Amino acid sequence: MDPVLTEIYKTVLGAAPYVIAAYFLLWLGFIVYVAFGIRKVTAVEQQLAALEESVNRRGGSPAA
Amino acid sequence: MRRSLFGLTENTWLYLLLSLGAILTSLDFLMAFLVAPVVLGGGVGGTAMIGGIAISNQLLFSQKIFFFHVPVAISSFLVFFFTAYYGVRFLMTKDKKYDTRAKIATEVTLVFVILTLITGDLWTRFEWGTWWVWEPRLTTYFIMTLLVIAYFVLRNSIEDEERRATYAAVFGIFAFMDAPISFAITRLVPSSVHPVVLRSGGGLTGTQLAAFLMGMFGMLMIAWVMFRLRLREEFAGEHIEEIKAALEG
Repeated sequence: MDPVLTEIYKTVLGAAPYVIAAYFLLWLGFIVYVAFGIRKVTAVEQQLAALEESVNRRGGSPAA
Repeated sequence: MRRSLFGLTENTWLYLLLSLGAILTSLDFLMAFLVAPVVLGGGVGGTAMIGGIAISNQLLFSQKIFFFHVPVAISSFLVFFFTAYYGVRFLMTKDKKYDTRAKIATEVTLVFVILTLITGDLWTRFEWGTWWVWEPRLTTYFIMTLLVIAYFVLRNSIEDEERRATYAAVFGIFAFMDAPISFAITRLVPSSVHPVVLRSGGGLTGTQLAAFLMGMFGMLMIAWVMFRLRLREEFAGEHIEEIKAALEG
């Protein structure tokens, strides 16, 4: 390869793993947190709906 | 209770904002790698034609981390502001909902702080050959990280709800004071690791700025969605406990 081009691109390959890792870890962090958040919210709200239905069937009214 | 805004439920709004945030953040990444010009480093002994342009400097590929490291860092400062804001609101009203909001804002801040440190460390490791440099911005940001963690340590160490909320509110307000210091420190104490990029007339080209702003707004939308999801989970959990207490009573 042309020595000037080699010098110009010298740091690119070396930097690539760090750039890719930073990109990947950032996305992983967001996806994991949001995915867990959606899962927990869904589970808790299902539990709440079931509890409210159970209270309604008993003829009471859920606490405000 | 599900609120409706412009006929759309909160669920719909959250997923819309999440999608928009993901799209903007993805566009930021794509523009950073495909459109924004590579920042040039030190001169090399000669000139080569690359894509019809004469280049005589090293191409700093690692600088691409800027396009997600800086938005996530600024987002951490902005989200942390809400820890202090809701802390003030709690102290003014003694309403538990503000304490809950402050706690969740700090949780989201912690996520962004960790991501900032990881992306920054990867950049520092490549550029300077070391994982850490005790320069002003990094040091003040590390202090902010410790303060965010200490917020949760404080909360977990106090049993009484009212005292816990009050102490956490006061601590959150004082802890946030490090955020503007960390943001502005490079303007007061120049650093080669963290040059002042966000300034008028300097630093970023048009495409670089466009990519950066997309990432910025995208990450703020994602932060908002994270906040609202956790808030819903907390309030649903509290509602469940209230119903259970009412049934037992």
